[in-house]
Amino acid sequence: MNAPVSPDALRRQPTDWKGDAMRKRIASRYASERRFRRIGLAAILMSAGFLAYLMISMLSGGLGGFTRTEIAVRVDFPKAPIVIDPASLRGEGAEAVLSSVNWQALTDQAATSALGKDGAWIAPGAWLVVRDAVKADPAILQKSVTLHLPASAELDVAAKSEGQPAAEAAYARLEKAGLTSRAINWDFLTSSDGTDPTQVGIWGAFKGSLLTMAVTLLLSFPVGVLAALYLEEYAPRNRWTDMIEVSINNLAAVPSIIFGLLGLAVFLNVLHLPRSAALVGGLTLALMTMPVIVIAGRNAIKAVPPSIRDAALGIGASPIQVVFHHVLPLALPGIMTGTIIGMARALGETAPLLMIGMRAFIASPPGGITDPATVLPVQIFLWSDEVSKGFVEKTSAAIIVLLLFLLSMNSIAIYLRNKFERRW
Amino acid sequence: MNGVAIITLILGLGLIAWLSARAKAMRLAPAASQTGDRSRKRPLLHSLPSYHGWYAALWVLGPALVFLAIWANVMPGLVTGRVLQDPAAAALPMDAMSRSAILSEARNIAQGNAQAAFDPRANALIEPYRSANRFYSLGGALAALMLALAGGAFAFTRIRPDFRARTKVERVVMSALLLASLIAIVTTVGIVGSLLWESLRFFSMVSPLDFLFGLKWSPQSAAMGYGNENAFGAVPLFWGTIFIGAIIAMFVAIPLGLMSAIYLTQYAKPAARAWLKPMLEVLAGVPTVVYGYFAALTIAPNMRDFAAWIGIHNASSESALAAGLVMGVMIIPFVSSMADDSINSVPQSMRDGSLAMGATTSETIRQVLIPAALPGVVGGVLLAVSRAIGETMIVVMAAGLAANLTLNPFASVTTVTTQIVQLLTGDQEFDSAKTLAAFALGLVLFVVTLLLNIVALQVVKRYREAYE
Amino acid sequence: MSQPTPPKMSARNVNVYYGEKQAIQNVSIDVDTDNVTAFIGPSGCGKSTFLRTLNRMNDTVASARVEGEITLDGENIYSSGMDVVQLRARVGMVFQKPNPFPKSIYDNIAYGPRIHGLASAKADLDVIVESSLRRAGLWDEVKDRLKDSGTALSGGQQQRLCIGRAIAVEPEVILMDEPCSALDPIATAKIEELIHELRGRYAIVIVTHNMQQAARVSQRTAFFHLGTLVEYGSTSEIFTNPREDRTKDYITGRYG
Ligand SMILES: Nc1ncnc2c1ncn2[C@@H]1O[C@H](COP(=O)(O)OP(=O)(O)OP(=O)(O)O)[C@@H](O)[C@H]1O
Ligand SMILES: [Mg+2]
Repeated sequence: MNAPVSPDALRRQPTDWKGDAMRKRIASRYASERRFRRIGLAAILMSAGFLAYLMISMLSGGLGGFTRTEIAVRVDFPKAPIVIDPASLRGEGAEAVLSSVNWQALTDQAATSALGKDGAWIAPGAWLVVRDAVKADPAILQKSVTLHLPASAELDVAAKSEGQPAAEAAYARLEKAGLTSRAINWDFLTSSDGTDPTQVGIWGAFKGSLLTMAVTLLLSFPVGVLAALYLEEYAPRNRWTDMIEVSINNLAAVPSIIFGLLGLAVFLNVLHLPRSAALVGGLTLALMTMPVIVIAGRNAIKAVPPSIRDAALGIGASPIQVVFHHVLPLALPGIMTGTIIGMARALGETAPLLMIGMRAFIASPPGGITDPATVLPVQIFLWSDEVSKGFVEKTSAAIIVLLLFLLSMNSIAIYLRNKFERRW
Repeated sequence: MNGVAIITLILGLGLIAWLSARAKAMRLAPAASQTGDRSRKRPLLHSLPSYHGWYAALWVLGPALVFLAIWANVMPGLVTGRVLQDPAAAALPMDAMSRSAILSEARNIAQGNAQAAFDPRANALIEPYRSANRFYSLGGALAALMLALAGGAFAFTRIRPDFRARTKVERVVMSALLLASLIAIVTTVGIVGSLLWESLRFFSMVSPLDFLFGLKWSPQSAAMGYGNENAFGAVPLFWGTIFIGAIIAMFVAIPLGLMSAIYLTQYAKPAARAWLKPMLEVLAGVPTVVYGYFAALTIAPNMRDFAAWIGIHNASSESALAAGLVMGVMIIPFVSSMADDSINSVPQSMRDGSLAMGATTSETIRQVLIPAALPGVVGGVLLAVSRAIGETMIVVMAAGLAANLTLNPFASVTTVTTQIVQLLTGDQEFDSAKTLAAFALGLVLFVVTLLLNIVALQVVKRYREAYE
Repeated sequence: MSQPTPPKMSARNVNVYYGEKQAIQNVSIDVDTDNVTAFIGPSGCGKSTFLRTLNRMNDTVASARVEGEITLDGENIYSSGMDVVQLRARVGMVFQKPNPFPKSIYDNIAYGPRIHGLASAKADLDVIVESSLRRAGLWDEVKDRLKDSGTALSGGQQQRLCIGRAIAVEPEVILMDEPCSALDPIATAKIEELIHELRGRYAIVIVTHNMQQAARVSQRTAFFHLGTLVEYGSTSEIFTNPREDRTKDYITGRYG
């Protein structure tokens, strides 16, 4: 078979493993092994470090956004330029009486008389606190009380970090007088966008997100599940099925901004649906989420063993009954997990919503899915563009809310996956 | 009658139809379904009673709801027609613009969407609008109810023991399933169609060659009336997109993603993996707007300071580097999970073969596993590139708007997605080249990402097959 | 064979566990260079497991644990002073399914010499590649296409390539785990011929399910059953006159 070769020509010296050169070589190979391993560890720690850096900078920058600086102001109601009968504030008509008062002037005057020229550092919306105090307890109208009024954005920035010199000086004075304090800013969770950073809140955007997600879920979940069932259980092998599959796989990889362009061209320009509305946002995101649900759904359905189908078919169930009574319930946890993941992605999505005009300034929460609305990520984007320094911490605070929301969604998904995951 | 009420009513009718049809079917087959006589081999009914119920419900709901959907689209036209018949409408001006403005104002007030009229002429039309609205919505509601009752009656008469209700219902379910799947195709067609349509309009104003090969991008000058020539050369955008998404971001994502995957699959102990893998998933789950904000607020200033420190003084605060770095971090989990899959699908025997030769783990990884996994990794990187160039928020927030053709990572470049957002912000005029250019850019982006995906999936598929 | 040479490898009281489960029980065996040793036994009896303890490939299985003593030239291979890299270079292994690397034929053979630094110049490497391929009986078939991928060869050629790859680092022991089970009879015959030629230069241990093969290629045979070594002796004796009933039953095809 082989050409004859003299065995000696082929015989090599046995390797000298104990020699110095070889020992050195092996040592250096082990060194390079350790180096490589450390590089791998470093790579993953760098990702972890970046994540930690991002989280810490958001937390440190954003937690302040949930609090506000307040200034204690003594308001002497009897001396104030208003005349309200406390009795008129109990019962019917209280609202009318309250809205007839010029609270702004009252507050400004009280602040000026209590603080002198530092009274100007009261937030423009501070009068709301005065009004609400009176509303809560009309009896104070006959007294002089100390109210904690929110400080203006400039003073707030000076209190929390580095502000303008004038604000810093004012804050130093007020703090020395013991008038300043820090309190949780509930308004941030209950109000909407505004022009003054001390008054803005995320409730409007949050509600917009909820409405948009509701539309997305209602559209993409049924369609996605039905399509997954069809493709996995019934679809004949033909060109149409191939086209559907190719479409779905490609849609899953299309950049999200393209869906925004589609929404703009079709939903707004052709169908004339309302601009900036949760309806259109939800529709657009539903198209984006549907392929994710289909793909997750198909995997979950595929994981249901054929024996279950055979058993059901064997006792005379029709193919539809098999799927809806046996396969779907077993696949549901997997489908839900995929759906939540798809919804979490949609919740964080910004670009397509910018395309359909959800970047408008919306100062009141949307009442329904056709009202102009904005969503949390877009709100973050809008605030990040604001020049006023007070918005920086509001942006980070909104990011914290968004991340918490996402975190809870993902935890639910993981919980579902762990609880219902079955190994067949 | 308002929409919610009528739909609720029809749904109620559907429920009644379901219950009564089912009850009727049960009465027809007392032996089989009421006494629970299991010894009977063949029940009298062909289908279970509930299928008869569904059959009837579908006949009640289907036609009525379809009619309502059509009616909702047709009605505004009918209402306007009737209002125009009204004597008050004779006073309307002839020119179409102000005519439709007044009409829509009146309509909004009549529907309670607006409080007071801007144009007093609208006031006269409010009442006609209200009455026409009432007339047609009542008419539509009645017609829908009639349809529902008629459908129900028809279905009810067909309930017989040998009636194949199940087959019929299942056929409807099947159609619903097929319809749901077709939505994917409709969406794809919608995307291609709308992008093509608006792009063609754009290319009727700007030559495709100028767009694809032109070196100067300044849509503002076109918008200000300096003409469309030399304003829509997209090469600087393409370059910026490639520079940030395919070069800088990949410089970060490929080594870090690949090494992370290697560490996770080959070295990490199960306990460590249980922590590190979800960590990467968290990184993938952070919304891009957060990355963008972080890039703009934290990374970009640091980059500029860094540039100044190494002696580059004209560095931009919206540098390509900041956007690219953060985008790279965003892509790390993506690359890592693709590489993870590829490395895991290299057969264990390959790894054993190398280790049995006396190779160390890292030698095995570098000389056997990675070469063997390379096609899969390359496919994954292509997918990652397609993801990166389509990414919007990071570049919108952290990259600039200046369309520079530069190799300097500290300079500002702009990208396709940034410009799409920019062009569609503010006034959108769908007859100006400026607005339509966004769709042409979108078309290019769509085609490129599609091609990248097709090639990548092909590569990955071929690779998977090689080891099966 | 006038003077008994000391055994190349010897195992004493070896136990192997996968987690809680014991796969090998108290096995003691000697392997020498002059003979080819065959491991036979029913499926799942632990032949592969034991073979893999001989070059510490079980280290790559997280749950595996080895007790007892295994020596190579008198040196305990599980002692802390033993270096696995070096051990595996000295104790080569050929697997059941041919597993050439997705590299050229040349690079497949050169892989071991390169990582261990056995050739200082390209010319040396060429010599090693040629001599290894010749000894693996593959040279004439591939000498004109050394640049082609190793995975493009036929199954039998791939397996000879893997043997060539193993001998390119000049090992002292070669472990073969059912090297012919994925091959057709002609390819099997070539491998058997090859084993004949390699005998005497390397200590060879071969796991096989094929009794005829064991009888043809080996001089000594070990019969494993349920993780224990039932009988170990010269091949002719085991096949013609086994001491244990279990061995006889297995060889005559009563079970397995
Ligand atoms: N990685 C592992 N983890 C756990 N148990 C294992 C592992 N590998 C093998 N085993 C178990 O150890 C026992 C011996 O397996 P081994 O592969 O050594 O048998 P074998 O004699 O080589 O069988 P065959 O002839 O089928 O190759 C078997 O019961 C097997 O299930
Ligand atoms: Mg085995």
